[in-house]
Amino acid sequence: MSAAATLPVVGALNSTERNVLIGLAVFFGLLFVSMLAGVIQPRYLFFLLSLAGMYVLLTMGLNVQWGYAGLINFSVAAFWGIGAYCAALVTASNSPLGLELHPVFGLVAAVVVSALVAVLIGIPTLRLREDYLAIATLGLAEVVRLLILNEEQWTNGSAGVSGIPRLFEGLPFDSVIRNFYVVLGLIVVVYLFLRRVHQSPWGRVLRTIRADEDLAEALGKDTYAFKMQAFVLGSVIMAAAGVFYVHLNLYLGPDDLEPIQTFYVWIAVILGGTGSNRGAMIGGLTVVAILEGTRFLNTAVIPAGVDVAPLRLLFVGLLIILVIRYREEGLLPPQHELVAGGVADEKGGGPDE
Amino acid sequence: MSSLPQFLANGMVFSCIIVLGAIGLSLVYSIADFANFAHGDLMTVGAFGALVGGRYFEGAFPGADVSVFGLPVSFYLALLAGMAVGAVVAVLTERIVYRPMDAGSIELLITSIGVALSYRALVQLQFGAGRRSYDIGRGGPIDFFRETLGIGMTSRSLVIVTLTFVLVVALHLLLQYTTLGRKMRATSDNPSLAKVSGIRTENVVVAMWIIGGALAAAGGVFLGLDTIVRPRMGFDILLVVFAAVILGGIGSVYGAMLGGFVIGMTHELTPVIPLVGVEYDSAVAFILMVIILLVRPSGIMGGEAA
Repeated sequence: MSAAATLPVVGALNSTERNVLIGLAVFFGLLFVSMLAGVIQPRYLFFLLSLAGMYVLLTMGLNVQWGYAGLINFSVAAFWGIGAYCAALVTASNSPLGLELHPVFGLVAAVVVSALVAVLIGIPTLRLREDYLAIATLGLAEVVRLLILNEEQWTNGSAGVSGIPRLFEGLPFDSVIRNFYVVLGLIVVVYLFLRRVHQSPWGRVLRTIRADEDLAEALGKDTYAFKMQAFVLGSVIMAAAGVFYVHLNLYLGPDDLEPIQTFYVWIAVILGGTGSNRGAMIGGLTVVAILEGTRFLNTAVIPAGVDVAPLRLLFVGLLIILVIRYREEGLLPPQHELVAGGVADEKGGGPDE
Repeated sequence: MSSLPQFLANGMVFSCIIVLGAIGLSLVYSIADFANFAHGDLMTVGAFGALVGGRYFEGAFPGADVSVFGLPVSFYLALLAGMAVGAVVAVLTERIVYRPMDAGSIELLITSIGVALSYRALVQLQFGAGRRSYDIGRGGPIDFFRETLGIGMTSRSLVIVTLTFVLVVALHLLLQYTTLGRKMRATSDNPSLAKVSGIRTENVVVAMWIIGGALAAAGGVFLGLDTIVRPRMGFDILLVVFAAVILGGIGSVYGAMLGGFVIGMTHELTPVIPLVGVEYDSAVAFILMVIILLVRPSGIMGGEAA
């Protein structure tokens, strides 16, 4: 790895990072200008930023699993959906459970249930090759979606859940501003927590597992337990993102759990930089820019009659292929890795590393 | 028509579709060494290829409408066209996407997700998201089966089962008795050893993609013939195909056949299982797969599963 030869000063920006920063500044500048010009309504802009914040949370959750521990989780949509449905069913006024509790209980339910499901799915798969986890989690996502769609007496089925309360109703801000602050707070807490965790001995073991599982085993680490912990932690973060989403969107239906949601989050992680939480921020923003930008294209550029949904799908698909092919480390890879190399470096590893 | 023999008959048809998908997936797994998540959408591509082929061949020459085993000749030609499309798309994808990448199996796996989404997006751009069918009259159940066994078996079902049997036997003969088959088995066993023995493994890989792509396309066409043709058909069935591959043992072609049979049957026998609704047929296949992972992760006929 060339980065090892010219190890940058920690905290200093290299040229890519500077470019990303400039790009971000331009992006936000454009957003601000278009808001002033009246192209985007301020309320809508704050809604979009909150949505982007939710994707940042999801991306950080997947980052714990794939970025730290190398676990391929294709059921991001399911864990997000479990969190979202727990919150919605516990708090909503038209929920079949009829509890109408405070949103805090929704969050507690989401954390408990998502952690339980993560353990249950981890037991048969985490001991095996990593591709088994990929297949099993894709299956789990489908089972969760089918359950929510068909068990109408618990979930309202395809009608979905509405009548979900807003967050912090008492505070003297507009609801869109409140949501924005809430997600900002969540991101800061999760980011600081993950940074601490990443640098802890626990994080070090995880990165060792990702780089070389046999090495971690040889050092006497119970890799299965560590992988399980990372899997559960990531899933809980995803569920928390789901909880936030229902209070942002105020409606939730089983269609929101389509597998494509999972791949949006994968795009965000890969594009931002696997294992990098700063990258997760860029990734989350980019995903919302893609999703909402293509919606905007629909009215502006593309002639009537062309369906924009497959275009978006094609864009996401090509983006996955191109990023893996040409820039596997993503836009903002982690600045300094204690364990040299990553999964991709297994075959390399010269004496100078 | 909801008796056990009827479910078994339906299971036979569905098993055939799963077997055809599972063989290709298992071949890729053993030789290219990654879980190809684009395999389901390759089935979709084949099904739509046959849709176009069907339009082209319908009434294109005298005799195209002549019925053979209850289906017009043009359908068989469309099936061949679909298989050709599947094979060509598979080889092109390998050339353009997978081969230039110097990446491990996990990177290839994630890339295959991108490939899957791209296939589906292109199909949807061309044909729209709606449902299509092969425009072949839905002949009623064949009298012979109704009278002797009491089951409804249409000529479509019979054609699917017969042609799958032909394809599977042909693949068996190819693997066991031809030079190409020996090369394929050798490459799948140990690629480096095959290479130093003078086998051009690149050619073997191409052959494997052709076979896998053509069989997947055939599975897609049969799925479209049995149910309906739509852009998500392949992705929705991918998981069941994976379950079959894991059950049979990853990398084992004969395991994939057996696994496809068991999973296909289970899928269609869901109504017989007490307390489980028909809407959970895919979930049952998935639960079966998880049980296999717990009990015997290497599958029925697989080797190690480190």
